[in-house]
Amino acid sequence: MKNRLRVLRAEREWSQADLAERLEVSRQSVNAIETGKYDPSLPLAFKLARLFGTTIEAIFSDENQ
Amino acid sequence: MVCATSNPATRRYMRRFLVTMVLYALFLILAVWVFVHFRPTGPVAWLLAVLAALPIIGQIVAFGLYLGEEKDEFMRNLQIQSMLWGIGATLSVTVVWGFLESFVHLHRMDLILVYPLYCILTGISYGMLQLRYR
Repeated sequence: MKNRLRVLRAEREWSQADLAERLEVSRQSVNAIETGKYDPSLPLAFKLARLFGTTIEAIFSDENQ
Repeated sequence: MVCATSNPATRRYMRRFLVTMVLYALFLILAVWVFVHFRPTGPVAWLLAVLAALPIIGQIVAFGLYLGEEKDEFMRNLQIQSMLWGIGATLSVTVVWGFLESFVHLHRMDLILVYPLYCILTGISYGMLQLRYR
């Protein structure tokens, strides 16, 4: 799954550690999601969407589309 | 093989793990001492032997509790994956060893080594998965 996390993070000048702290997960988790190595669960995806004030679809997109 | 982060679930796991290690050392010393000095038989011997194994079972329970308490789904996933690789590798090694024992009379593997073998193989799996997700 592709995502815009790096862009959204950069817009807010947050480091991976900053985002991890806000999500209450490890920095490694943020990195794995951001690099597309790990697809988050729906609850975590909703948490990300709420944090960035947007929708899940605005952050994640299907690579096959 | 919990070690990467220091969240509350990890800290609780480490505390429980240390308690089981201390109990393991104490129970093992007690069992060996009693067996050397009193050579117990029957139910007492059985009880002492099982007593030494209980902290190891406690470690498995502590890991299960950790998996239930870990809020970081990615880290939980990493731990479960490494555990599955560890279980698979341990079963593979022991089944091959078993056939070698039967057919080519390889030295008999002591069953007490299976758990440390599982820990080592799970640790190796965890390290390899860490590299993959780095």
